[in-house]
Amino acid sequence: MAIIENRADKTRRVLIPVLVGILFLSIWEVSVILLDIKPYMLPAPTVIIKTLVEDWQLLLRGWLVTMTVTFVAFAIAVTLGVILGLLFVQSRWIEMSLYPYAIMMQVTPVVAIAPLIIIWVDETLTALVICAVIIAIFPIISNTTLGLHSVNPNLLQLFRMHRASNWQILMRLRIPSALPYFFGALRISSGLALIGAVVAEFIAGTGGTKAGLAYTILNAGFTLQIPRMFAALVLIAVTGILLFMLMLWLTRLALGNWHESMIEHEQ
Amino acid sequence: MKSTLMSETKIEAEVKAGAEATGPPVSIKHVDKTFGNEIEALRNVNLDIQPGEFVSLLGPSGCGKSTLLKIIAGLSEPSFGQVRWWGEDAHVIGKPGRELCFVFQEPTLMPWRRVTGNVRLPLDLTHQNRAESNQKVQDALNLVGLTGFENVFPRQLSGGMQMRVSLARALVTEPDLCLFDEPFGALDEITRDRLNDDILKLWEKQSWTVAFVTHSVYEAVYLSSRIVVMGARPGRVVEEFHIDAPYPRGNEFRRSQQYMDYCHKVSAALERVAK
Repeated sequence: MAIIENRADKTRRVLIPVLVGILFLSIWEVSVILLDIKPYMLPAPTVIIKTLVEDWQLLLRGWLVTMTVTFVAFAIAVTLGVILGLLFVQSRWIEMSLYPYAIMMQVTPVVAIAPLIIIWVDETLTALVICAVIIAIFPIISNTTLGLHSVNPNLLQLFRMHRASNWQILMRLRIPSALPYFFGALRISSGLALIGAVVAEFIAGTGGTKAGLAYTILNAGFTLQIPRMFAALVLIAVTGILLFMLMLWLTRLALGNWHESMIEHEQ
Repeated sequence: MKSTLMSETKIEAEVKAGAEATGPPVSIKHVDKTFGNEIEALRNVNLDIQPGEFVSLLGPSGCGKSTLLKIIAGLSEPSFGQVRWWGEDAHVIGKPGRELCFVFQEPTLMPWRRVTGNVRLPLDLTHQNRAESNQKVQDALNLVGLTGFENVFPRQLSGGMQMRVSLARALVTEPDLCLFDEPFGALDEITRDRLNDDILKLWEKQSWTVAFVTHSVYEAVYLSSRIVVMGARPGRVVEEFHIDAPYPRGNEFRRSQQYMDYCHKVSAALERVAK
């Protein structure tokens, strides 16, 4: 009984947002037709889909560039963020001396420093990656640090009582305790990496073979090809959702067995 | 020639140390504990726990009974005074015949490890042979009645069963001295009584020495061979009671006049402390 209900619940969880989406798109489509809105003001959903199909080569090229920047930046942010988090936990001194700068990096709008980075770094893609890393890294640092500190104090005492080395405490206690926080950070950071990649490209404004989706949007704006602009936007949004779902899947893979957040509500 | 001489003296020294190390499992002399510069948690506490004793530390909240237990466990240093384990100054956990275990009020399990992984933790930390460890884990789980739950995660168990896992983890090192910090306090009375009976059985079977922190007079009288009543502000030992009732104890003891008399006496002592 519970299983059937669960399955019904799952279907509902997919079905309801899909229905809401369809309803929204229908209203959009109908309004555009009824109010006779020109496609260069607001293209109808069907027009956007048509553009997606017709311009797929151009869009795919841009998408690949944006994805490359996103994934490289995300990988660097995760690696560097975890290393910094581990360093912070090892020594209060390191944490005290570096943490304020991590916050500073977080609160400085990337829009403000991106032009500088683009001037300093010749290679455009590298500059874009650096900008995206700056945006994506902070949640990883802060959540990893928080997670490594969030250890059950009694468990820590138990480890100490059994003469656990610092290495054992790190590997067997701190890192597993930090995993839920870390995966939470992955979900936020993957989206931020995508935003960083797009925003940085807007500022760099490079064309040619290294042009990503942001350039597609910019260019479409200049030439008033609004449907293409929307098509690129849709691609970015869908990519963001897919990234989020990928992270959710990874989280479930790692924590599914034991962590409260991953437990289906049982009756 | 010289080296043989050296080794001989070394052996002699070791024999001597071994002979000296026959003091009581716990010996606490004139122990003070102050937190910061203000709060006096313990003042001039003296307590010896003899091998095989079941000692309850009983008192109102804030009397420093948990602090005393942490000092006994070596988790906390006294501000003044001396703590000895089996007659030795240094902390001696991990030496043969000197194993210590600690059971917290909460199960204190690692949610990411299955039951076996949790119970095996103390053995894993000291890098013991995996096959032997697994056998010991199995034995410990049998003792607490958790056979068949080896591959389950803690969250899938009830509170009482989680406490059993915690007990099994304490048992697995074959401890000589067991410290309980208000265990089962968060459980319902029936589960709690049952677990207390289990502890008593294990204590008899495994020849443990036990220090048991509680605020329940009934629990203390039922379980202990000796009750140490503590008072608050500052935490100190006020009175001691020897409970001269034979083990094994069961429901007959719970219903006996002797039990009620002890409960009255100990309660009266607690009331005097409160005044």
